[in-house]
Amino acid sequence: MKLRIVLIILAALGIAYLVINFKPAPAAPQTTDAAAPSSTDPQTTGATRLPRLLDDADAVPASFAEAPMLAERVAADALPPIEQRLPAEPAVIAPTDEIGRYGGTWRAGFTGPADGQNIDRIQHNHLLYWSADVKYVTPWIIRAWDVSDEGKTFTFHLRKGMRWSDGHPFTTADIMFWYEDVYQNEQLNPVRANWNQIGGQEGVWEQVDDHTFRVRFSQSYYTFLTELASLGVAGHFTRGNQALGVFAPRHYVKQFHPDFVDAAELDVQVKAEGFETWVQLFKFKNDPKLNPECPVTTPWLVKTPVNTAQMVLERNPYYWVVDTDGNQLPYIDRIVLGLAENLEVLNLRAIAGEYDIQGRHILMEKIPVLLENQQRGNYRVRYWPSQAGTDAGLFFNQTYDGDAEVAHWLADRDFRIALSIGIDRGQLNEIFWLGLGLTGSACPPATVAYSPGEAYRQRHAQFDPDRANQVLDELGLKQRDSKGYRMRRDGAGRLVLEVQTIGAAFINFTGIAENVTEQWRRHLGIQAVVQELERSLSVTRHENNDVQVYVWSNDGSDNPWAHPFQVLPNHVRSWAPLFGRWWQTGGQKGREPTEPARRMVELYEQGKAVPEQERYALGQELLKIYADQAYVIGTVGVSPAMMGVWVVSNDLGNVPESVPFSTPAQTPGHALPEQFFFRVNGADRPGT
Amino acid sequence: MLTYLIRRFMIALGTVWAISILTFVIIQLPPGDYVTSYIAQLEASGDIVTDQEAENLKRQYGLDQPVTMQYVKWVSQIMRGNFGMSMEWRRPVGDLIGERLALTVLLALAALVLTWILALPAGIYSAIRQYSPADYTITFLGLVGLAVPNFLLALVVMYMGFRYFGANVGGLFSPEYIDAPWSLARCWDLMKHLWLPALILGAAGTGHLLRIMRANLLDEIRKPYVVAARARGLQEHRVVLKYPVRLALNPFISTIGYTLPVLVSGSIIISIVLSLPTVGPLLLKALLAQDMFLAGTIILLIGVLTVIGTFISDLMLMWVDPRIRMES
Amino acid sequence: MADASQTSAPDADARIDVSPARLMWRRFRKHRVAMGSMVLLFGFAIIAIGAEFFATTDPHLPEAHRSLMPPQSIRLFDGSTFRPHVLAVRGHRDPQTLQRVYEVDPDRRIPVRLFGHGYEYRLLGLIRTDRHLIGVTREHKGEPAIFLLGTDVQGRDLWSRLMLATRVSMSIGLVGVALSLLIGIVLGGFAGYLGGWVDMTVQRMIEILRSIPTIPLWMGLAAAMPRDWSILRVYLAITIILSLIGWTELARVVRGRFLVLREEDFVKAARLIGARRKRIIFRHMLPSFYSHIIAATTVAIPTMIISETALSFLGLGLRPPAVSWGVLLQQAQNVQSVALSPWLMIPAIPVIIAVMAFNFVGDGLRDAADPYGQ
Repeated sequence: MKLRIVLIILAALGIAYLVINFKPAPAAPQTTDAAAPSSTDPQTTGATRLPRLLDDADAVPASFAEAPMLAERVAADALPPIEQRLPAEPAVIAPTDEIGRYGGTWRAGFTGPADGQNIDRIQHNHLLYWSADVKYVTPWIIRAWDVSDEGKTFTFHLRKGMRWSDGHPFTTADIMFWYEDVYQNEQLNPVRANWNQIGGQEGVWEQVDDHTFRVRFSQSYYTFLTELASLGVAGHFTRGNQALGVFAPRHYVKQFHPDFVDAAELDVQVKAEGFETWVQLFKFKNDPKLNPECPVTTPWLVKTPVNTAQMVLERNPYYWVVDTDGNQLPYIDRIVLGLAENLEVLNLRAIAGEYDIQGRHILMEKIPVLLENQQRGNYRVRYWPSQAGTDAGLFFNQTYDGDAEVAHWLADRDFRIALSIGIDRGQLNEIFWLGLGLTGSACPPATVAYSPGEAYRQRHAQFDPDRANQVLDELGLKQRDSKGYRMRRDGAGRLVLEVQTIGAAFINFTGIAENVTEQWRRHLGIQAVVQELERSLSVTRHENNDVQVYVWSNDGSDNPWAHPFQVLPNHVRSWAPLFGRWWQTGGQKGREPTEPARRMVELYEQGKAVPEQERYALGQELLKIYADQAYVIGTVGVSPAMMGVWVVSNDLGNVPESVPFSTPAQTPGHALPEQFFFRVNGADRPGT
Repeated sequence: MLTYLIRRFMIALGTVWAISILTFVIIQLPPGDYVTSYIAQLEASGDIVTDQEAENLKRQYGLDQPVTMQYVKWVSQIMRGNFGMSMEWRRPVGDLIGERLALTVLLALAALVLTWILALPAGIYSAIRQYSPADYTITFLGLVGLAVPNFLLALVVMYMGFRYFGANVGGLFSPEYIDAPWSLARCWDLMKHLWLPALILGAAGTGHLLRIMRANLLDEIRKPYVVAARARGLQEHRVVLKYPVRLALNPFISTIGYTLPVLVSGSIIISIVLSLPTVGPLLLKALLAQDMFLAGTIILLIGVLTVIGTFISDLMLMWVDPRIRMES
Repeated sequence: MADASQTSAPDADARIDVSPARLMWRRFRKHRVAMGSMVLLFGFAIIAIGAEFFATTDPHLPEAHRSLMPPQSIRLFDGSTFRPHVLAVRGHRDPQTLQRVYEVDPDRRIPVRLFGHGYEYRLLGLIRTDRHLIGVTREHKGEPAIFLLGTDVQGRDLWSRLMLATRVSMSIGLVGVALSLLIGIVLGGFAGYLGGWVDMTVQRMIEILRSIPTIPLWMGLAAAMPRDWSILRVYLAITIILSLIGWTELARVVRGRFLVLREEDFVKAARLIGARRKRIIFRHMLPSFYSHIIAATTVAIPTMIISETALSFLGLGLRPPAVSWGVLLQQAQNVQSVALSPWLMIPAIPVIIAVMAFNFVGDGLRDAADPYGQ
């Protein structure tokens, strides 16, 4: 009997010992390659070579070539020859490094039907688009445009002879169909899109000829071009499921539209497909990610839809983009995205080298493990840092009304500044960013055209607990309770702030919030409670204005006109929900904004009406207010934390060393994935 | 006898009905609905939805109706054999579950079989060699299996598999077989991936079963008929295997009916960690996304499986033990 | 487990005039493994009560410069003199691998002593002190020195966090089971004793609750509790959730016992001589099987403990800054911990030990509970 106890204890100790002393086998020695990724500074993006769209007519090559898998089909008469498939004016891309070769399967991972953006970002379906460095808007499906009438009229020219993936011509009919029969159909789209309005007036779209259309506004609206290039508008592939996306394959989807077919017949079809209304059927049929039948204009077309265990895409034989030698893109034949039920599995697959390029869902905290397995997995880790001010900012609800005392402090600039300088950002950078980020305010770095400069980047962002305490004392928060916490002024005990985070995000917001609140507790005697919420609960609470402080990244702060949502308070999901409601309802509901908030929105509206060069000064002034008021307390930013850690197979060519991560430009879309290629023979690669 | 059967069946029906209500209540408990979770999903990727758009979406999914209406709609759909359309997957719930349910049951069965293969001989050996070092080791390992948090075990095993054996990370198929039609090669591929999750899933069950088997057998071995058999000079292994083992097994056979559903719901966590294409991750995702019909149908299905299992177990018990028949 | 089955005749005389409880205890003591486990559990209880005293470093203090530090061991001898100490370490981030690396500074030793000084806390919530079981000497006071089990990613001492977690998780197990027991005895008792439609209703309730997979039940209930609750309330809510699901098993045991006992001769006899129902239940029936209930309860605790960790895994359990075994395990549930910082998985060990110990004690009690068994 005694023996038994001893045995059990020994065994337990044995396991304990093994666990404690367990060390993984030493990794193969790292080659001291000068270009080793770990030695590259994630902040430098300037020097790398980038792919480029050539928009002069001379760039169009004299002859064209196609992928072997398409040549076979041409030979079998299953497909017209390449010359008949390409437009007369194809888009020409100068690849990152070299002309690629055809073939291979790009293996990647996704997390299910809600992860459609994963594919949207690769397909980058837009009318206009961004340059690879996200500095200027380039032609894309639209070949050229004219702005006239002081920015009130936009004339757009499509590519003659461009075709949908089923060979049907792509013309202004597809755009007008979308505008007249989809967008303006009250059932499909009861809501008017913000981006199609200026000064409360909607833009009017009209067809000029088969390849020319015009959009007219009642006021100057230069940023309409920015909108067309960005996520908010995007294109059919991205937004077909919402009956948005500025164009739709008229020849295909009109059969699901009651204006074009018999209502009774349509009804039969709705029921047969398991839907309740024709709207549901239409939105399903117009979504290429769910309905592989739906024609597309993207580099790859969907073979198996996004709601299966493996999403498969294959090259679009009618893709209208070529390289400088006249090779039709894309180079890569196929994309296979495997379903991963959780992020650990997805990351471990990346670590194991089971993906060729993957950036979405790769978590920053995995970098050391990723680096350790680079050679085994035949990949390299690249950093594509965001240009936004902060990857994890503390957003202070300016219109909180649940507790008058708390609301008062949230709206007090000095209070916010005190909390901001009460954070030792170096700690956060080291723990959560592995030292790869830049500490500072919520203002973007000085390298960005809209940035008001380094002074604002560092505004209220220097750790100074003494001054913070002094400010808090002077504000009337001198009273402390027996445990050293500052007390409320109304005598209702300790001042407690609630900090809300969302779990399972790209960044460990909860851990960061926990650390910040612990710092506030120790340095300032301010108690803040972290609450991690389910994502849908967080939305509900935000809509109900039931949030005090929340943590999120301010992506898009590098260009407030391309992606204004985390900077401006003019919508309900902002750092001032009631201001947002006030703007959205034209002052009917919500609360009248404060002066700085009003000024920010004013500058934003002014910026819409001026050409880009004049807009920089307005953006700088806007961001000055943003940083100076500290509505959003920045911590660490300009890092690859948000989907900016890329695992890239060594077999791949033309993947830029680094591009800035951008939400509006949908990274990696602007790195032009259609010109990525496999250096080794496709047939030798796994998964083919 | 027949009246008992009918009564028992009616009760089972009532239980299923109660489960359907409870299921619906559970799904409705969390604040928000599919649309709010969808909006949050969009936001995570930088997309912002306005108030009006949200309202529009609610109407599209029928979420603007009162909860009781939604329940009636759901139940009447199911009566007609239609489980509805998953909001997140945009596919009929029946299709979605169908393909995964088979794999789930297969995994549970594999775990069950593995559990029996491991636990029964070990339990018998342990009982015969009571207080031997082998007995201690088996008991200890069994308890470890019972006590180790299986999500952690699954992750560690998955990592080791990749790091030291070059195995695929997670899943039940190699990538090339995921979409392939059923063939011998695909079955073989499945078998290669199945045993490990089955083992992890079975770890707790093995520990449990092993201990019960050992205890039951020890009780049985001390009974006079065994002593008598031994006294007659029968060989030891025949003494044990002929009757006591069979009798010790009896309780298991009668509970096999609802062991399976328990394993199915027990496989949820492991399936999430190992990314197995079973109903587990589907259920968790559906609950998080508040994908009402999908989550509801899965819960209901597991509930019904359990009720059927219990029903069958009761019948089997009645068959085995005449006293229960008398009582009814 | 029938380990304690060797007890035999000598006890027979003693049985005559001892209470069932004494009898049980006497038999239990003979069950060595169970006794050993009991002692272990007492150890856990003491840790739970004096968690801060057993902690070495402030469990909530994050510090970047000691993030992910591997476990340190205490060296007993400095040369040949007995002078317990740990070696000081210096850490930095390797620019190539981006891992935290720590180098021992062989010249700097941090002396360690029993009942030394550390961070300040209130013992039992009352006495303000800075004495800890293991601490540094006065001159080193305040220097965070000893990391017996290493640190987590935020540089917090794992050992100290484990001490705190033990308190939370053990008490969740105990309180949860107590609640389950209450519901289980009341409902199971009524069902078993009264029979008829009461029994029927309770049986159906049990069946329905057992037919619904636990995860959605947890999620539904966990989501229903307001998220602005304080940690303490969440903690209570989680215990209630666990016991709302956990009572069914206990109710079944109780009901089964009642069913059997109802037909026993001594109960019939009591009924025949006209004893009131209350007296029959409390005077005759309960004493004859409370030992079984204790045993069943003991075996139910580990289920609670494991459920608590599973809840945390699903993100439904306690959340940071609360510390429990589940929270600690959840933070270790990732690839980088398994690959690079395996010491973060240490909290699995107390879970395993506790679950095993409770099982052994339960076994021992079960064997001991049957006074006329072998």
